[in-house]
Amino acid sequence: MVIKVVEDPRAIIKRWLTAESFITVGRSLERADSMEKVLGRARFVEDFFEEGFLVARIVLAKVPHARIRRMVYDRALENPRIYRVLTHRDIPGENQVGYAIPDQPLLAEGKVRYYGEPIAVVVGEDPDSVNNAVDDVVLEADPLPVLYDPLEAMERRDVLVHEALGSNIAFRTKVRKGDVELGFSKADVVVENTYRTHHQEHAYLEPEAALAVPDLENRITVIATIQYPHLGQRIVARVLGIPSSYVKIVAPYVGGGFGGKDDEGPLVAARAALAAYHLRRPVLLYYTREDSIQTHPKREAAVVKYKSGASRDGRLTAIEVTIVHDTGAYANRGPFILWRATMHSSGPYHVPNAKVDGYCVYTNKVPQGSFRGFGNPPVQFAAEAQMDRLAEKLGLDPVDFRLMNMLRPGSETITGQVLPSSVGIHEALKKLAVESDWRIKRRMYSESREGRFRRGIGVAVGWHGNSTSRAVPDWSNSYIHISRDGSVSVYTGIVEVGQGSPSSSHRQLVAEILGCPIEKINVIFGTTDAPDTGATHASRGTSVGAIGIVVAAGRIRSRLESFLAEYFNVQREDIRISGGDVVVGDRVRMRWEELVALAYSKGVDLSATGYFFLPKGSFNDEVGQGFAYPVFSYIAVVAEVEVDTYTGRVRVLEVHPALAVGKVINPEAVKTQVEGAIIQGLGYVLMEKLAISEYGRVVNDNLTDYVIPTAHETPAIREAVFVEDLWEYGPFGAKGVGEMAFIPMPAAIANAISHALGVGITELPLTIEKVYSLVKQVVG
Amino acid sequence: MYYSIPKIEYYRPKTLSEALEILAKVEDSKVIAGGTDLLVDMKTSRVRARVLVDINSVAELRGIEDGGEFIRIGAATKLQEILESRIVSEHLPLLKAAVKSMGSWQIRNLATVGGNLCTASPAADTAPPLLAYDAELVIAGLSGLRVVPISKFFTGYRKTTVNRGEILKEVLIRKSGWTGWSYEKLGRRGGFTLSVVAAAVLARVSSSVVEDVRIALNSVAPTPIRAYRAEELLRGRRIGKELVEEAARVVASEVSPIDDVRSTSWYRREMSYRLALETLSRALGVE
Ligand SMILES: Cc1cc2nc3c(=O)[nH]c(=O)nc-3n(C[C@H](O)[C@H](O)[C@H](O)COP(=O)(O)OP(=O)(O)OC[C@H]3O[C@@H](n4cnc5c(N)ncnc54)[C@H](O)[C@@H]3O)c2cc1C
Repeated sequence: MVIKVVEDPRAIIKRWLTAESFITVGRSLERADSMEKVLGRARFVEDFFEEGFLVARIVLAKVPHARIRRMVYDRALENPRIYRVLTHRDIPGENQVGYAIPDQPLLAEGKVRYYGEPIAVVVGEDPDSVNNAVDDVVLEADPLPVLYDPLEAMERRDVLVHEALGSNIAFRTKVRKGDVELGFSKADVVVENTYRTHHQEHAYLEPEAALAVPDLENRITVIATIQYPHLGQRIVARVLGIPSSYVKIVAPYVGGGFGGKDDEGPLVAARAALAAYHLRRPVLLYYTREDSIQTHPKREAAVVKYKSGASRDGRLTAIEVTIVHDTGAYANRGPFILWRATMHSSGPYHVPNAKVDGYCVYTNKVPQGSFRGFGNPPVQFAAEAQMDRLAEKLGLDPVDFRLMNMLRPGSETITGQVLPSSVGIHEALKKLAVESDWRIKRRMYSESREGRFRRGIGVAVGWHGNSTSRAVPDWSNSYIHISRDGSVSVYTGIVEVGQGSPSSSHRQLVAEILGCPIEKINVIFGTTDAPDTGATHASRGTSVGAIGIVVAAGRIRSRLESFLAEYFNVQREDIRISGGDVVVGDRVRMRWEELVALAYSKGVDLSATGYFFLPKGSFNDEVGQGFAYPVFSYIAVVAEVEVDTYTGRVRVLEVHPALAVGKVINPEAVKTQVEGAIIQGLGYVLMEKLAISEYGRVVNDNLTDYVIPTAHETPAIREAVFVEDLWEYGPFGAKGVGEMAFIPMPAAIANAISHALGVGITELPLTIEKVYSLVKQVVG
Repeated sequence: MYYSIPKIEYYRPKTLSEALEILAKVEDSKVIAGGTDLLVDMKTSRVRARVLVDINSVAELRGIEDGGEFIRIGAATKLQEILESRIVSEHLPLLKAAVKSMGSWQIRNLATVGGNLCTASPAADTAPPLLAYDAELVIAGLSGLRVVPISKFFTGYRKTTVNRGEILKEVLIRKSGWTGWSYEKLGRRGGFTLSVVAAAVLARVSSSVVEDVRIALNSVAPTPIRAYRAEELLRGRRIGKELVEEAARVVASEVSPIDDVRSTSWYRREMSYRLALETLSRALGVE
């Protein structure tokens, strides 16, 4: 009996997508790293520091916009324990590190464009000396006029953040569908508002750090707080002018990223590598909390002008949207963020006529960057506030109105992309409305808008395209190797940044597919020694990151089945491998270890890579139509609030989520992602506010003055409703979940407060002062 | 570890006189109690100190005693000890309420009442209740002890009457028959937060007449303050809703809040009125 070995990725993905019973998938198995972390044994970058290593810090500019004359640091070097002050002149390769547009230096050159921009690296023997030396580096520069307001910066030609561009608009986007004028002429109600959202600081537990260890012949290893080791490798190689293969990056456990370390990680790695390159000794470069908050990119601050129309029968007829992103001093990933915001601006609704324009605008502020949701929360906030206003004008219940317009399998998005399947949001919202007692509570709170404490309930939905936008290449990869003792090594570039994909879902997938005992699986993650798996961002750690694991494991499984069929002369259906037990026909039983030993002795190849290149369509920028994303994840949340009208204090009492994110591999892991995102979203809406002074300085650069939520503010988070709308390429049909619950939170809370007070909300954050002023508008 | 405070010399004396001697002798020396203010300030270079004198082992500076007429709280007493003290519960419920709102359990197990007062932050949370109690502060120096009423203790923004080389020894609070008290703190988040405004009120009401009342607030002026004019207005008057509203308005006119990263002057003034209204109503027993 011979059965063909299946090596084709699509066939393997499909085989496991259609699986009907599961061993480990779908179960809340314990993470491999939980004990280590609870006991404080898990090692983060600093924990690899040893006696004798050098230390380094970055020096930050203290002007928002200026032409550099020179840098003076003789005083810093007077201390013999200070070895070098490195500037852009010391960069052997390229100083240019812009991700989307080549506009950003690793260390300032020619101009300073924001207060907090790194201008030099100080390297010395001990932290005290380095901390003092940082204050002794003086930047001599001629101040230039500053721009802080993106709307003003768009119009100005006389003051330019980047002269070479001739404009302060870094990037534009557009969507054109149907005819918006016709659409609005068919509308019976039209709502038009301008929404404003604000920056957000990531406030991860572990500030940025990198330990660079030079090796023989100019090779270098960098242990860094980073979300994409292979990108770090590329940037370090470019900055040092050496081949990528000479650079090894390791992301050990990372103390939170949320996108911030996707932007800043490679730059920290490159600055540490630069120091180690010159000093030829291991160097630990670390950001203090203040350095971190001053310098690394923040969540997009957006101005969204939104006009929408609907007919009396409750159908959306048109939207017209203008999005302005304040990208700060550098584009960073701003163009990608804007692109995503633009494509998602309708919300997950069918809108026949749409005109959307996006502008990514330079100002002299800390750059805008990647942050959970990536451009999406501000536009969903605007879109969902609009939906509530329209529903109100139409006399419809907000949930009913949403359901009437919601995308379903076969619907077309505003970019003209048809979504054939995996669109579970309609079902999810319907179930959520029932389980959250939406109708009863909405009516009850509507009828009792009196007294000091007022309750409100709000709903919001969100969607998020999986993978990179449009035709930007995206792939998955991994390498799996089975040792002679039956243990399994899995190599992936995905990072453990708190979410647990390498320590939970990846192991479960391998155990499911190979049928080996789960405790024999070791996932070696976050390293350039693994194949390039892409970044651990965009909710892709499992959804895209683990496709390669499915393919590699599927290949080995297929080889083992083919081998057993031939060896024992049975059909594939007669072979069962699960949980370490191997059953062949009704005669042969063996342990997994025995199978591996047998396979080794008979020449079966037990190593495999699992490369998969995601199929995509194309987007036409000229006409603003085309393929945007391979698939979307969806979420709906209902939030309940209580507003203290005496003080403006808002308590979020309860949040009820519903997700359509394909197959849930590990329910507990998904739950923790959802809870974390809800709390982070709550903080963003209610209390987090970056204060920028007239000198462009982030004033609250510490966690005393930049307040984030604690356990006290955490609402009751109800058991999520799941609709498992499988994605054809996802591991067992899984889609991304990491960012999802953040996306609708601003809208859900704002809509709930709006409901409690009976007042429209267009501006975040809803701090106690802000809510108090809303109260005053209503009750005087 | 790497962005810790600068290298320092460290002393841990066992007696008050030993501590005072080290402070007098060693240049650049500074007292450390819980370090929850000082270490943060050293990290950001707001305070530079080369030598730290740790007073946590000085027995004379610790503990809570009921001395009959006075309650004595050692300056180096931990906030958590104050919170858990039966003496405080029984005699100083206003102080207890304020301490309960401070930091987290971890912070309260390090932080001391003396440290809170000596940092003299406008947002210090032990200040409003101690101002209301008219506490007396005993300050020790090489030449002996001096007693300062708390109303004279704060001399300006983050300034006190404690001179270099002196140590705040203890807080004395006279027992008194208050009929009502109330404390309210408003921060930017629900808990574990510094105040945007806090108000503390003590009152003695007899046959519906205000015999005595004390009102204190923090975060609305360069130092924690008493609202003397409002107190004056209330004393001897028959309690009532209008009176309380009028007093709260006077409180709001007595404060001089500023705009900063934590809040705005406008909101702090509005909340001074709001919290005064709340706390006065409760302490005076007005509906
Ligand atoms: C996370 C966090 C939360 C906090 N929350 C609050 C809060 O809710 N409310 C609030 O009011 N504060 C809060 N604080 C501030 C701080 O904890 C308190 O002010 C605390 O009481 C300070 O006491 P300490 O013993 O730690 O003082 P230290 O830091 O040891 O000392 C503070 C200052 O006082 C001096 N000093 C201390 N003791 C004496 C003495 N006996 N004689 C003379 N000088 C002395 C020191 O030299 C130093 O200058 C918080 C701090 C942190 C880090």
